[in-house]
Amino acid sequence: MVGENWIENRKYTYRRELKWPVEAIDIHHVVVRRSRASRFFIYLCLVIGLSNAVFLVLSKHESVTILFWSFILSASLLKLFLWKPVKQESVIIMPALGVQLETHFLSGRTTRRFFPIGKILRPVLLECVTPLTCYWSLSLIVRDEGELMLVFKELRPPVKMLVPIWKALCATIDCKESPDADDG
Amino acid sequence: MANQNHRILMVSDFFYPNFGGVENHIYYLSQCLLKFGHKVVVMTHAYGNRSGVRYMTGGLKVYYVPWRPFIMQNTLPTFYGTLPIIRTILIREKISLVHGHQAFSTLCHEALMHARTMGYRVVFTDHSLYGFADVGSIHMNKVLQFTLADVSQAICVSHTSKENTVLRSGLPPQKVFVIPNAVDTAMFKPAPERPGSNEIIIVVISRLVYRKGADLLVEVIPKVCRCFPNVRFIVGGDGPKRVRLEEMREKHSLQDRVEMLGAVPHAQVRSVLISGHIFLNSSLTEAFCIAILEAASCGLLTVSTRVGGVPEVLPDDMVVLAEPDPGDMVLAIRKAISLLPKIDPQVMHERMKKLYNWHDVAKRTEIVYDRALECPNQNLVERLSRYLSCGAWAGKLFCLVMIIDYLLWRFLELWKPAEDIEEVPDIVLPCQSDGESLKDCSEDQCLR
Repeated sequence: MVGENWIENRKYTYRRELKWPVEAIDIHHVVVRRSRASRFFIYLCLVIGLSNAVFLVLSKHESVTILFWSFILSASLLKLFLWKPVKQESVIIMPALGVQLETHFLSGRTTRRFFPIGKILRPVLLECVTPLTCYWSLSLIVRDEGELMLVFKELRPPVKMLVPIWKALCATIDCKESPDADDG
Repeated sequence: MANQNHRILMVSDFFYPNFGGVENHIYYLSQCLLKFGHKVVVMTHAYGNRSGVRYMTGGLKVYYVPWRPFIMQNTLPTFYGTLPIIRTILIREKISLVHGHQAFSTLCHEALMHARTMGYRVVFTDHSLYGFADVGSIHMNKVLQFTLADVSQAICVSHTSKENTVLRSGLPPQKVFVIPNAVDTAMFKPAPERPGSNEIIIVVISRLVYRKGADLLVEVIPKVCRCFPNVRFIVGGDGPKRVRLEEMREKHSLQDRVEMLGAVPHAQVRSVLISGHIFLNSSLTEAFCIAILEAASCGLLTVSTRVGGVPEVLPDDMVVLAEPDPGDMVLAIRKAISLLPKIDPQVMHERMKKLYNWHDVAKRTEIVYDRALECPNQNLVERLSRYLSCGAWAGKLFCLVMIIDYLLWRFLELWKPAEDIEEVPDIVLPCQSDGESLKDCSEDQCLR
């Protein structure tokens, strides 16, 4: 962990950028880290899958159905456990205009959501509970929206990465709550 | 006070916004433990759209886990489905002890099982009495035997309840403590002026079901009305037996003497109680019965069936006991009417304040927690020997369940290590003064 502009853990890297003019644009990136173990596991799965396919093709039993289903199974397992299609998510804070949320996929596709500054009532750090786990999430309370807007739709960065983003959003939106309050 | 501050996870399927004995017990006990400086977190299932983390009065944190109830407010028994979420909560809240409530709660049994697998100390509180003969009770008792085979300490709400639990579960009696329920005397105060004595009002507030003696009421009410022309009944509560009471009222033309209120919200129970002179409890089985405490706190003389833990609840001069038989109940009501002039509601309320308070219950529960934490932690093999003694076939089945649970836990430790689960900062609130009463939690108070 290097200051508040660079935070790392096993899964994610948080990076902060300040852009010209006069460092007005504040960009916060949360990048997915690809561990060596997961890469090795992906390659191992691919090797096993390919060798299985070669074996089935070369064997006398021309079982196309088995081949087809083995591919389907390995692909679905790979997607379920390891394949994270998201490369990074970014929060671009433009004090005069608003907040833009970006999701960058491995395919190169990017989705963007923009919220004008006047419509954002407050950024909130919440504890989310699912049937299997609990995690922290950063959301925006937006005027005329029935639900909270998740800042990170795909990723679940730890709270130590969310706090600096929350503070930056608070400073921009001029929250009643002091951003220097306790990080809890 | 205890030597150390505990971090307690209360687990039950029964909690606010539901109202009942178990729900109140967990809420008030948690509030007092928080005042003593302990950390208390409650885990229950989602109620409607109430899911996620909520904070209640005094900084009580509640996890409404989005598991839907499937029968009688109970979550579906999955054995292992709750392991990931329970493990996450235990780690992120830095829990030191798990306290499960109510033998009928699936979530409670699963939480205690997983907590023991992970090496946490566990305490179990039984709030009910169960039979031994019917199919449902036989199954329930086997589940209880499984859960309590490896529990650190157990608590029962009455001596009768303790006897029942020990017989059902085979738990050593020295591991079971008796800590009665209490009443929020600040909430249940007598009326400034006593209701007029020209007519005697008997109040009944209970769920109108077989177990609560609704069939007994059907026979008792007409007899009492025949014997005492100045007696009027107020019946609060709802349930499948309400129809029988309505029919009885029609049959005996008692519409002007028996008032049926239907379901009474918990916040309005006091206003119903203070309109009467006598409280009638006709339960056929009861481990403790908080309703008679609430009635006594409001200054009502109680007439009750002599069942379960009821005789232990109130001093002899505050209650008239009868066998669960219509004739005996009528005699008890006759005796209660003759005793009414001697009853001073304010004096009764003051006595209740001293006899039953949550502060005392929490102090005694603290001692149980201390004892639980002193219990030696055993490894899996030592623990499995306890399960084996639960029966020829059941013992082996219980061992298999626990071995699978242990393996799943080990897998989760690899899949999502404890260091990846973020610990939650504690919310420190300015302490309330000890004299301040515990107010019942309303929706406005709950959401901060």
